[in-house]
Amino acid sequence: MQSFELTAPTTVDDALAGAGTFLAGGTTLVDLMKLDVLTPRHVQDINAVPLRGIDTTDGLRLGALERMSDVARHPGVYPMISRALLQSASQQLRNMASMGGNLLQRTRCTYFRDVSMPCNRRVPGSGCPARSGAGRMHAVLGTSEACVATHPSDVAVALVALDAQVSLADAAGTRTVPLLDFYRLPGDTPHVENDLRPGELITEIVVPRLDWAANSTYVKVRDRQSYEFALCSAAVALDVRDARVVDARVAVGGVATVPWRLTAVEEALRGAPVTEEAFQEAAGVAAEGATPLSANGFKVPLLRRTVVRALCELTQDEPSGSRG
Amino acid sequence: MTTTRIDAPLKVTGRARYGSDHNLPGMLYGHVMTSTIANGEIVAMDVAAAQAAPGVVAVYTPFDPLTLRTPTTPMLGDTWVPLQDRTVTHYGQPVAFVVAETYEQARDASALVEVSYDERPARTSLAGNLELAEDAPPGLDGEPSSSVVLAEGVESIEDALASSPVVVGGRYSTPTQNHAAMEPHSAVAHWDADGLTVYSGNQGAFVQQADLAAALEVDPSAVHTVNPFVGGAFGGKGRTSVPAFLAAAASRALGRPVKAALSREQVFTATANRPETLQEITLGADRDGTLIAVRHDSWCSADTDRSFVEPTSATSRVAYRTPNLAVSQKVVPLHIPRTTFMRAPGEAPGSFALESAMDELAVALDMDPIELRLRNGSLGPAGSDLQWSSKYLDDCYRIGAEHFGWSSRTPTGRREGDWLVGMGTATAMFPALRFPTTTEITLQADDTALVSVGGSDPGTGLLTVMALLGAEALDLGPERITPRLGLSAYPPGGMSGGSTATASVGSAIVAAASAVLEELQSLASAPDAPFAGQDVTYADGRVLGGGRSMTFGELLSALGRDTISAIGSAAPGEEMTKHSFSSFGAQFCEVRVHRWTGDVRVSRMLGVFDAGRIVNDQAARSQLKGGMIWGVSAALHEGLEIEDDGRLANGDLAGYLLPVNADIPEIDVQFVQHPDTLHNPVGARGIGEIGVVGMAAAVANAVYNATGVRVRHTPITIEDLLEGLPS
Amino acid sequence: MIIRFPVYGLTSQHPPMPHHRLGGHAARKRIPVDISLEVNGRTENLDVEPGVTLLDALRERLDVTGPKKGCDRGQCGACTVHVGGRPVLSCLTLVATVREPVTTVDGLATGDALHPVQQAFVDQDALQCGFCTSGQIMSAVAAVEQDVDDVREFMSGNLCRCSAYPNIVAAIEQVRRADAVV
Repeated sequence: MQSFELTAPTTVDDALAGAGTFLAGGTTLVDLMKLDVLTPRHVQDINAVPLRGIDTTDGLRLGALERMSDVARHPGVYPMISRALLQSASQQLRNMASMGGNLLQRTRCTYFRDVSMPCNRRVPGSGCPARSGAGRMHAVLGTSEACVATHPSDVAVALVALDAQVSLADAAGTRTVPLLDFYRLPGDTPHVENDLRPGELITEIVVPRLDWAANSTYVKVRDRQSYEFALCSAAVALDVRDARVVDARVAVGGVATVPWRLTAVEEALRGAPVTEEAFQEAAGVAAEGATPLSANGFKVPLLRRTVVRALCELTQDEPSGSRG
Repeated sequence: MTTTRIDAPLKVTGRARYGSDHNLPGMLYGHVMTSTIANGEIVAMDVAAAQAAPGVVAVYTPFDPLTLRTPTTPMLGDTWVPLQDRTVTHYGQPVAFVVAETYEQARDASALVEVSYDERPARTSLAGNLELAEDAPPGLDGEPSSSVVLAEGVESIEDALASSPVVVGGRYSTPTQNHAAMEPHSAVAHWDADGLTVYSGNQGAFVQQADLAAALEVDPSAVHTVNPFVGGAFGGKGRTSVPAFLAAAASRALGRPVKAALSREQVFTATANRPETLQEITLGADRDGTLIAVRHDSWCSADTDRSFVEPTSATSRVAYRTPNLAVSQKVVPLHIPRTTFMRAPGEAPGSFALESAMDELAVALDMDPIELRLRNGSLGPAGSDLQWSSKYLDDCYRIGAEHFGWSSRTPTGRREGDWLVGMGTATAMFPALRFPTTTEITLQADDTALVSVGGSDPGTGLLTVMALLGAEALDLGPERITPRLGLSAYPPGGMSGGSTATASVGSAIVAAASAVLEELQSLASAPDAPFAGQDVTYADGRVLGGGRSMTFGELLSALGRDTISAIGSAAPGEEMTKHSFSSFGAQFCEVRVHRWTGDVRVSRMLGVFDAGRIVNDQAARSQLKGGMIWGVSAALHEGLEIEDDGRLANGDLAGYLLPVNADIPEIDVQFVQHPDTLHNPVGARGIGEIGVVGMAAAVANAVYNATGVRVRHTPITIEDLLEGLPS
Repeated sequence: MIIRFPVYGLTSQHPPMPHHRLGGHAARKRIPVDISLEVNGRTENLDVEPGVTLLDALRERLDVTGPKKGCDRGQCGACTVHVGGRPVLSCLTLVATVREPVTTVDGLATGDALHPVQQAFVDQDALQCGFCTSGQIMSAVAAVEQDVDDVREFMSGNLCRCSAYPNIVAAIEQVRRADAVV
């Protein structure tokens, strides 16, 4: 870790007037500072800044500093958000990590985390060993020659499915950006992960009201049952009337460089009967455009199958995801 | 017998001090820095920035080393010591040691050291370097690593297989594994007028004492090693660790206490791992399931010093009775981190291969896998006249099958909702061993007794077993025994390893108790003593004679003594010429595989073990459950991924997966108890390792039963199963 | 061939900082901060650099060695302590950011009387080597207090290589049963 100066603003204005990296839960920042991946000279501990609150009166408004565990257990939160949060990390980390910080967490790519290795995301132009190296956990969607790193967040997947927006503030003012647009594909500039400007702060996450999202879930497939990042995950919501799908929201995680909305699957589901066969057919387009590496070709069929599983579990009376 | 762990109250309150929990006045902190190449020479090191960094006291490198000599022991051979030469033989090799006033200063300064390498291409793949394979040396038991036994008139194992009506075979592989004890290797060292004291978790204080004395060229009597609490070992703390060597040497050089610990990442590269294995097995059988021929050829990875062989083929020498057997064991030296013993060395990966192959044979024969195993049960090791001293494996299977509901299993599993459900079984075996051990028993005037040995209890429960066996041998309640472990000042023995400690220490306790009670009785009846000239006996903590009795404490007080002590030693002996010794077990598990996504969940487990006498029922079950979970971990989770250039792709606890609580169901453990007093006077054969053995195969066999997909490698992951799932 | 093996440093997220090498450069000046925190009911004052974690402050400055360093990366749970009554990972918490009281396993017992969760860990043999136990117990206390639905999931942030998992679940169930009786 490199030395840094620590300040602790207590208002949004003070935070925006100060310089340096914002520290909220610290679960990403402190980790990566110890690895020398991040080396800020100035850190602002913003935990005393009043960016809290869970408001479910019209959709959902989440203060950026709300902790994952508090949001997960709030009764007014859509199931896919709650379930995505509860399947993230561990209860200790969920007590620490903020919602805003969760959206900004960095990839778990082994090369990104190792400063002795090249990584285009960490050092533009240095190269990407993942393409020919340990690429099993990496992305198959939204990749580029420069970067194949997976976006690690679970709740961001649910949030993009629900058309969430993030409110951003800097010294010049505030703005609101759809979360789906907030994230940037790696392209030639994988080090630019999102739309955040220097010194800009996420203040709030806003989820528009969607009553039928009460019928939603989040399915996460991984190498162990908990405390592990997704090989593939799916956030799905269905508006079902008379055994037919009226509307659908589908997004996937663990397979893409950013939280990945599957509008083609949603389209294919609209009007479809609530049957396993229809779900399979709709999921058939889930992996369109996928470009797997030699080590992660399985993610293409897994992606389709995870979407089907999530749709089936959502429409079965008894969820079958529990322990046998 | 059962009793809660004696050290549990200390462990649940945080008062148990492990090695790095010791903080001494004036203590410095050392941080290890490791190589980023796997093969080459260090050409230069620029340490100026590190030396100039705040708080830094010293920077040691191969160019400016702490002098350390290579220790050698009969059991472990040479132990590598760091910073002595500039050749790098694996990724993550220690190349510098930075000492500073605080932990953070040492860690951060080590990042400022710049190393220039002359890098050479690295050989890191086992499968890709089989042409470098060398014949393995004989095992510790002196058995040749390769051997052939043929029935009369059979020319070769190939002929035996060719004439077998049913033949199955396959190539199995298991990855490099790391012990991943929760406590990273660490040490606190300081020197004073009495010499060196080192606090460091290790499998035997007396082993560490010998290593450090040799490395530092001081008399062993000047080295005091302390490890009353060890945060897990599993074979990975048998050798003295890099931090212990460096902290001890730096403390001597700097005249202040030094604490050093490996980072978790460094534990994967700067200690030692279980080798990767490749195993080819061919089984030939008659149509009734009787084995005709077994062939088991193994290759394992090793570091360039070939410091360890994973003897997987040995599994086939002991498991089944077959008229024709050929086993071979080869070792492939690679530019990989050092290799060493890890819980059930040989047996764990060897049983994955052999017990998977037996399941394949059962499928080929359309035979129940338990029936196949019972039909071919071994009477002793192949080629040996010495039969098992005691074997109740059939009972293990009978009891296990009944409790597990084995009769409800179908050859193609069953389906419950979206889950494909299967059952699997496998045999577990682990040799019953013991090592020469000496214990000291001290009777005290307060009517309590001390039982002391220099070994360790890294979670095995040895400390509590010593109290129970000491109580038995002294005919006292266990609450009157104070067991003591983990100091080099205690007699040598009781090293945690090879599932030997209970048998080894227990036998020595019997000897020491006999000696101290004899001494007590002779003191009692000596001239001027309370029982002068009388015949005395001892029972229930009392000396009896002439119609009177005194507690031993009263006697000692009457004699004006605070204590009397005796040592007792025990070692393997004549029994080794009469029998072979092994423990046995039947492993069962049920798995559920999701029909869409192929994730595997273990839903039930049962192990039934024939391990001789069980001394402490509760802790024994805990240890066996832990071993069985290790089997699940091997089957479904853990494996180091070594990249072509030698770097570890997953060398941390986020990448090297161990099961978490949610992965593990209720586990049932049962015992078939027949004390094996042919092996040792206590009758216990040891249970530290057998719980692991066979379980990975039981899981793989259950996955096959559920899905019809045979996976011949571990860990079994989703991509192995997706294609074979129903669409 | 001589390779100057490069170290690929170091950019912040956005915008990228100039590429600079890690090895060979000079250490930055250190800027200590004065902090005060409550640990197991005692107020402690420290003068530390802002990068010092709560775990290292407890273990190396305050000699509170119950919490253990198993990974230092938030990957094992051995360092779990309560801050403001909630389990957190002290290895990823900067001590200078702690505003609420800290409770570690060292502060759970009342004199010689074990906390019910500690006693249950003894009774159920929910430990072997004991190194992860401090963290397990702090999570288990929260599991009981929160009356969680899925104990196994809740306890999954605490690795145990000895694999005492079933006994840890049994210990928590023992306390919950006792609570239910009361």
